Amino acid sequence: MKWSIDIKGTLSPVSILGAFFDKPNTIAYPQVKKETAKGYRGFHTNVLSDCIGCSNCQDVCMNDAIDMIKTDMEYNAKNASQCIPRIDYGRCCWCSLCTDVCPPDSLKLDEEYMNVSKYASDFIYIPKNQ
Amino acid sequence: MIKMETPKHITIFHGPQHPGITGNMSVELDLIGETIQKATTHVGYLHRGFEKLIERRTVIQAFTIVCRICVPEPDPNEANFAMAVEELAGIKITERAKYIRVMVLELSRLSAQFLWMAGQSGSIGLYAVGQWAIADRDLILDLFEELTGGRVYHMYVYPGGVRRDLPNGFLDKVTDLLIYLKERMNLYNDIFINNASFKNRAIGVGIIDKEEAVANGYVGQVLRGCGIKADVRKDAPYLIYDELNFEIPTQKAGDVYARALVRRDEILQSINILEQVVSKMPKGDIMIKMPTHRKFKLPKDDTWVKVESARGEFAYYMAGDGTEKIRRMQVKGPSLIHGFTLLEDLLIGAELSDVALIMNSLGICPPEIER
Repeated sequence: MKWSIDIKGTLSPVSILGAFFDKPNTIAYPQVKKETAKGYRGFHTNVLSDCIGCSNCQDVCMNDAIDMIKTDMEYNAKNASQCIPRIDYGRCCWCSLCTDVCPPDSLKLDEEYMNVSKYASDFIYIPKNQ
Repeated sequence: MIKMETPKHITIFHGPQHPGITGNMSVELDLIGETIQKATTHVGYLHRGFEKLIERRTVIQAFTIVCRICVPEPDPNEANFAMAVEELAGIKITERAKYIRVMVLELSRLSAQFLWMAGQSGSIGLYAVGQWAIADRDLILDLFEELTGGRVYHMYVYPGGVRRDLPNGFLDKVTDLLIYLKERMNLYNDIFINNASFKNRAIGVGIIDKEEAVANGYVGQVLRGCGIKADVRKDAPYLIYDELNFEIPTQKAGDVYARALVRRDEILQSINILEQVVSKMPKGDIMIKMPTHRKFKLPKDDTWVKVESARGEFAYYMAGDGTEKIRRMQVKGPSLIHGFTLLEDLLIGAELSDVALIMNSLGICPPEIER
């Protein structure tokens, strides 16, 4: 077998040493938090004074993650069904179709996305009123 | 497992947990020493059945599923789905939507190529390259996050246009990223493509014959690495690809190194395309008004559409039956033919240490096989 040395190919990877003087790509999480982009698809929010309880969101959800429930919160007077959406985050895929089809534009996605809980029942989530 | 009747043989499973495997699949290898005598691909660890799921959902609901057919590169699926629906329904999208779609497709191609670079370099132990490629890919994902609201699954290209308009200053950010990535490519050339250790491992390994590649219907870098200039963007242009100037890189050797060179050149071509798209981006609407948006009905007809993904031709067959649901949708990606016929053939006679190297060079994505 003939041996030959690829001098360029052997020396060129040495340029990797220059990376010692570069700024690191990583951030010191959790001390430094990465800012979420505006319009990120995180948790749902629902403006209860606007929600009309039409259940369009429930209808369009391909994962059957939304059901309409009665709560003791104060609703919009025009909310005919007196129900508001509740999301099962075990099923939700954050496609945002529910917010697209919302006629009064009350259901939205917030930039907040962290949810830590030891109870599976906490995945069933009533969107915050805001 | 040592076979007692032929004690020289040993059978091992490469995957599905092996870091050198591309996704959730495994290859059963029959070895004598380090040399592979027989390779059998096993899939079924994923089994998500996208095609059947889509048949039970309306058009608007099905659109959120298609991006999951390929995790590293979801956008060709979204574009294919949207193009199929538009062709069946006779919808024409706006010029701006076409430009934005091309931008998204090329960014997605870039992100997939960087992921490939990470996998390919990792498969031979050059981990620094992999970590840098993943970090650079993350910058592309940051742009996706801003544009679409999601980093991996974008759910952005929608029948009738795209879902959101470009945020303020987005094109400047794309331009800055392209300048950065161009500089980084010089570095990747030095530490990966021209690296003697990669060359020694990749040259002459996994050689594919030109005639065989055409006869068996291989696509993407596998075909272009054998010297065949085949690319859907040139052969059957869609969106605005016929208005853009770009080259189809090819190599003649047909080995792993040739495919790596093709991919490296494709990254540069994608940057070139993106520069043109950014400079020519027209103003206007991003979405046309869709009739009966939620209960959109597909006419009784069928169609076949295809786009060029980062791994080769990606085609969809779609049939409507006049209802809100899609009668049948079939996905034809490069992974089925590359993951079974080609991989099983190429591995015979190869060394055990080359399995991950060869696999990564073929662009195999198991969700696409188990569609």
